[in-house]
Parts: sequence; structure tokens; C-alpha cells
Amino acid sequence: MAASMSRPLEYLESLPGTTFKKLYQQPSTALAIFRRMLPDLAKCFVMAMLYLKDPLPTSDLEKWVRSDSKRQRDNALSILGRLHILSTTLTDNNVRACMVNDPFASSLRQALMGSDDAQSFGVLSQTSNESTITVADLDEYARRQWEGVLGYMVGTSGLGQRDINLSKGVKQLLQAGHLVEIRNHHVDITKDGFGFVLQDVNTQVWHILILYVESAQAIGMDSVEVLSFLFLLSSLELGQSYDKKGMTSVQLRTLTDLADFGIVYQESPDATRFYPTRLATTLTSDSNALSTPASGSLNGPGQPGIPGTGFIIIETNYRLYAYTSSPLQISLISLFTNLKYRFPNLVTGKITRMSVRRAIDKGITADQIISYLLTHAHPQLRKHNAGQATSSSSTMPISVLPPTVTDQIRLWQLERDRLKATPGFLFKDFSSLADYQTPCEYARDIGVLVWKSDRKRMFFVSRHEEVVAFLKSRS
Amino acid sequence: MPRAVKGLLIECDPSIKAMIQMYDEERHDYIVEDLDDDRHLVIKESQLENLKARLDQDLDAKIGGLEDSESEGQ
Repeated sequence: MAASMSRPLEYLESLPGTTFKKLYQQPSTALAIFRRMLPDLAKCFVMAMLYLKDPLPTSDLEKWVRSDSKRQRDNALSILGRLHILSTTLTDNNVRACMVNDPFASSLRQALMGSDDAQSFGVLSQTSNESTITVADLDEYARRQWEGVLGYMVGTSGLGQRDINLSKGVKQLLQAGHLVEIRNHHVDITKDGFGFVLQDVNTQVWHILILYVESAQAIGMDSVEVLSFLFLLSSLELGQSYDKKGMTSVQLRTLTDLADFGIVYQESPDATRFYPTRLATTLTSDSNALSTPASGSLNGPGQPGIPGTGFIIIETNYRLYAYTSSPLQISLISLFTNLKYRFPNLVTGKITRMSVRRAIDKGITADQIISYLLTHAHPQLRKHNAGQATSSSSTMPISVLPPTVTDQIRLWQLERDRLKATPGFLFKDFSSLADYQTPCEYARDIGVLVWKSDRKRMFFVSRHEEVVAFLKSRS
Repeated sequence: MPRAVKGLLIECDPSIKAMIQMYDEERHDYIVEDLDDDRHLVIKESQLENLKARLDQDLDAKIGGLEDSESEGQ
């Protein structure tokens, strides 16, 4: 889950410190960040220091970690620092000490001890309910909506998919995030979009939510409020309905928007309560969203290596067999395969130079194709090739996909990228070797040097401002 | 006095470089500076897309016929 953690983390780190102060007022936010964003060691540090009255001398903290794990310790401390959770101060007798910062510490203590009366974890709906919504209903709703969003991106229309009504907001958000482009009224998936579709659901949801928070500012919503509401949603319980009473207009609006993605469910925008779906409740936990067998057609994704989830068989002669009836998966596969036949539970086709080139022209990379094939490789393919690899040689990495095919896909891509272009500036006409060498070394030291030739006294840099300033300062 | 020239540094195979040089001989509208080894040259930034399209087209014409019959033999 490390990969899916990094994007929200990156986004959070880019926020200013004052935003963190506001965010950490909410116990649900503090708990969500603690659960989801921190590496285990950082959690230990926070837990150990949470109830300390005085700052803990840094030297004591360092003793907790064995010296050969210094890297993990520094990493944990740096994340805590970047998230404004931990700060270092000087104590009276000039010792460097750290402590857990306040809005975070008090909120987390509140969350842990349940002394929270600010309704930070939502209010359970008390009204008795005739038409009970079961967890299965919610999963079905979430799956349908989310697959609708993905289907819209890859263009499943024409494959007999039931049309999911996507709101204008959803489409705009996908466009604003450069996941799709509209060309002549036709939806085209971008390179980013393809990468997005291949990720696991949790990462996808985070990606969308961050886009949402970023765009919230533009339509006059307070992005901090939206973000902390998302953290609240993530701490709700699946299968429970929550009361909308007392929610702010921003929160209500967010709810309606998120319902389009299947992240929450409400009978109508005016309903008095809402249900979080699995997409919401797994946001800040480690369990996987929507990977139950029942929802297999949505992204049966997941973790490569787990048997039972894959459906693609690919042979050394580039023939591809995909045991799926999901319009979404079929249109994904058709992005880089020439599909030939379609049966009720199977499509077959062949990966060819032209089909791969077509994909690459759309901006899809060979690595993305290979990682998609790998993620969805049929268990039979795994078993077969794993067995072969152990018997033949131990030096070769176990490859699930036939190496001829993966190599060829990469070669087809190389055929396309025959030249590598770097924009920048060429410096030339130096009168002496010494004149040439110093700026050249300077450029290398600041990391902008791309190419140099001592013989011709020329060098190429990707950015020229600093080098020009350097040259001026010396003349 | 040293000079700085704006451009795109192209890194490619010698064969591709030869093709770019050939294009340039027509009107001298691609190359800013030939860097005198086999794999590098600096070209005008505005010409990149044009150059890529032309290379793809010519290379396709040369390689295209050799393989890949889209109809698969059963």
C-alpha cells in the first residue's frame, strides 16, 4: 500500500503550516493522518510521546532506535516534521528536544479516549428505517458508479455497457485533472489517465479526491473544510447511515458531488441521511476497497501475486486471451491489442506492432502496458511460468509474462522514441580551455549540465540563468 | 567572448543523426549546431514536432513493409 499512500502524502506536504493547524483541530483528521499517512516507526514515536508532559530530549529519542536502522528513523522523523506533527525545541538547559505539536496531540488524544463531543466522527442517523440499505447494496452502488467513471474515461460506450449518468461535475473534474481530453466531442484518455486506470482503487479514489480538493477552491469552497470532511468520511463505519443535520453547506455540497463517484450513497440530494460506501471507509485504512470476488469485474485488481484475481493469458506468439466480460476491461485491453473474437466470458486478440504503436501514439507507455498485463495475469500463467523459472535457472527473475512479448513491447516503443530531446542552451565560443572549464564544472555542480565536449569547448545546459550569472560575475 | 544559443539537444543513433543531417541539407532549417560526434546535435526548438513526424514517416516507409501482417495466420 506504500504507493497509494504517497500521493495524498505529497499533497498534504505541499500545504502551508497554517492549514495543518486548522486540519488538526478535528480529532477525525488527526486519527486518519495517524493511521494512514505515517510509517509504523513514526506511529511508535507519536504513541510514545503523546502523553508526555515535557518535550523529550532528542538524544533519548535516538536511543530508541538501533544504530543500524538510522535511515528508517530519519525517514520517520522527517515525515513527522513535514506533516507538522513533531517539532523540535530547545529546553531551558539548552538541550534539543522534540514534542508532538498541539492541535494534533490534543485531537489525537480526544480521538483515542472518545472524549470528543464536537461530532467529529459523524452523527449516526436515529430515524428508523424501512428500506434498509445493506452493505452489499452499497458495494454494488459504489462499484457501478466507480466503474462508470472509469468506463467513461476509456470509452466503453458501444460495448453494451449500461449507461451510468455521470454528472457534469465529474466530467469536468476528470478533464481538469488531465485524465481525459475532449477532442471533437470525443473522450480521449490521456497518458496520465491510463496510468490512473491501472492503479488500484484506493489510489484512484485518493487521486480523484485530491483533484476535488484542489478544484474546490476555484468554485468558492474552503479547501481545508473539504479536506477535513474527507477525513471525517474516511472514519465512518460501513453499513451505517449518518445524519446530515448540522452539516455546513460546504459539507452538503461535497456529499452530493461524492455521491456521483460512488464514494457516499444518498437516496436523493435532499435525503436527511447518507451512507458511506466502501470507497470512503477504506480511504484511511489498509484494507482494499472493492476487491471482493463479487466485484471482480471492477479492477479485480489488485496485488499482483494474489491468485484468483487475474484473467489474462498471453502466449509467446503474442496471442492474448482475456477471461472477462467487463466492458471496462475489454476496452482497456483494446487500447493496445487487436481484438479478434468476443465470447460471453472471453475475448481473444493479438498484440501487434501496430496495436502497440497505436497505444504509444496515445501516450501510453510500454511499461504501463506490461504492468497492466502483469497485474491481471491469469493464475494459470503465473503457475506455469513460476514453475519453469525455478527449474531452469535461479539467476533469472521469475517472469510471469513471456519475456519475448515484454521485450518486444519495449522494442516497439523504442522504435517510436528514436531521439531524446532536451530543451536548453548551448554555450560556445570560449576563448581558452580554462575559460570553458570553470563554467562547465559549475554547471555540472548545480546539476544543469546535459552534454559537454572538451575538444570543441562547448557545453549544453538545461537552464541557463545561473550559468549566465556565473559567467558575468567572473568577467 | 562565450555565447549561449537556445535550442534542443538531440541525442540519437548515428543513423537517425544522418537522416536529420540529410533533411537539413535541403534548406538548413533544422540544425543549429552539429556537435561533431555520432550521437548529438542541437536543433531549433520549433522544428521538433515536424522532425519527429518526418522521421516516423520515412522510417515507417522503410521498415513498415517487412513485417506485421495485421491479419493473423490461423
